[in-house]
Amino acid sequence: MTGPGASALGASELALGGGAVGEAVTVVAEEAKRTAALEHELLGMWVGFSDVQRKTLALLRFELDRTSELVESSTVDLSGRFRVLAEAARDQASHVDQIVSMAQYVEVDEDKVPVEQLVISMQAVIGEMIGSIIMLSQKAMSMVYLLDDVQKDVADLEKSIADIDNINRQTNFLALNATIEANRAGEAGRTFAVVASEVRQLSKTTSALADHMRSRVAAVVGGVRQGHDILRKIATTDMSPQILAKERVDKAMGSLVAQTNHFHDVLEAASSSASEMSMNIGQMIMGMQFQDRAKQQLEHVGDSMNVIDSGLEELISRTRIALPDHVEIAPAREWIDHLLGRFTLSEMRQRFVRQLLLEGTALDDLGALDAHGGGAESAAGDVELF
Amino acid sequence: MDYSLDIKDQEAVVRLSGRLTFNDHAKLRALIKEMIGNDAKCQVLDLSSLEFVDSAGIGMLLIAREELEGQNKKFLLRRAAGQVKRVLTVAQLGKLITIED
Repeated sequence: MTGPGASALGASELALGGGAVGEAVTVVAEEAKRTAALEHELLGMWVGFSDVQRKTLALLRFELDRTSELVESSTVDLSGRFRVLAEAARDQASHVDQIVSMAQYVEVDEDKVPVEQLVISMQAVIGEMIGSIIMLSQKAMSMVYLLDDVQKDVADLEKSIADIDNINRQTNFLALNATIEANRAGEAGRTFAVVASEVRQLSKTTSALADHMRSRVAAVVGGVRQGHDILRKIATTDMSPQILAKERVDKAMGSLVAQTNHFHDVLEAASSSASEMSMNIGQMIMGMQFQDRAKQQLEHVGDSMNVIDSGLEELISRTRIALPDHVEIAPAREWIDHLLGRFTLSEMRQRFVRQLLLEGTALDDLGALDAHGGGAESAAGDVELF
Repeated sequence: MDYSLDIKDQEAVVRLSGRLTFNDHAKLRALIKEMIGNDAKCQVLDLSSLEFVDSAGIGMLLIAREELEGQNKKFLLRRAAGQVKRVLTVAQLGKLITIED
């Protein structure tokens, strides 16, 4: 046995000497022995505890890397999904913008005409049509009045022809009487008989002319009456319902414009929402870059743990060399139990149990045991995460 | 359609009632003659009792305006209501004839 305890014992032995001294030396030696044994026991415990500490550090390092990887892969996955979402929102905004740009226009002969302008021009066209209807009504009524007058004139004409016939009949009768009287006068009346005969001839011609006029006038009367009937049919066709239809058309057009404007406003709001959504998602993706910083920080923590671990390793190995072989290195069971009692994540607890109690088989390079342990319990583990 | 003529000072007011349609064309022509025949400078058609007017009726009102203005007489429509007012409004007859409420 070497160390400070042994040299102190030697010095007191030299200073005291004798029987009483021998007894005192024995007491001191016993005391020193107990002290040394206690020191050995404590050092043994320290080595055991440090061993657990190293294993715990290794486990914590493993958990740290695992967590960092989990956060990294989840972040990458989430960023990817958010990117897709942002793109979809951008697409949506552009589609809606397209609809917005078209919503207030109507294509007419390859021209983009604003709905409002189209409605105004259609209303103007209908207004012109109504103006034409009214003008036609006025002209038709003027025509009706004109034909009324013509009919009256023709009736007068018919009456005049009848008068001519009447006069002609009297003339003919007078000529006939004149002929009779001329014959009765004999030679003296011969010349007068010639005149009377001429008058009768004239009367016949006049009668033929009157007949001809009557037939022509009858044709005119027939034509005028037919025209009047046709015109009456036209003029009696009431167009006021068509005129009043403009009221409904105006209302419908007003609704159309209002609806179009409403659609335009709603679509514009939808477009700006989609753009805002896309922008927010972009900011979320930016925000996810925290993972880079977190990873670096975790790496620093891991490095510090490695430094502590190698320090512990060195101290353990130096302490083991200094301790006599018979000293028992006690495993820190109580501390391990305390530590394991704190884990609520079953999967993680399992890894700790394997590392601390089964001497690190869970940390083999192949990770076969982890894979095995993860299968059945991963679902439960995931649930516990939330 | 029926009508009654009332002349006050310089204004002759003709009160129309019933329905003014094509069938009244002879009656309206006689009325136009009466309006031309009286001395009042201003000839008013009171339409408050007129229930209905068809497109021929509107045409006849325009003929009346033409004939009266040809005689240097003022012609105006007054107190149209219901269908008559709607038709006059939609047809924008106010652009051609003075219309009073």
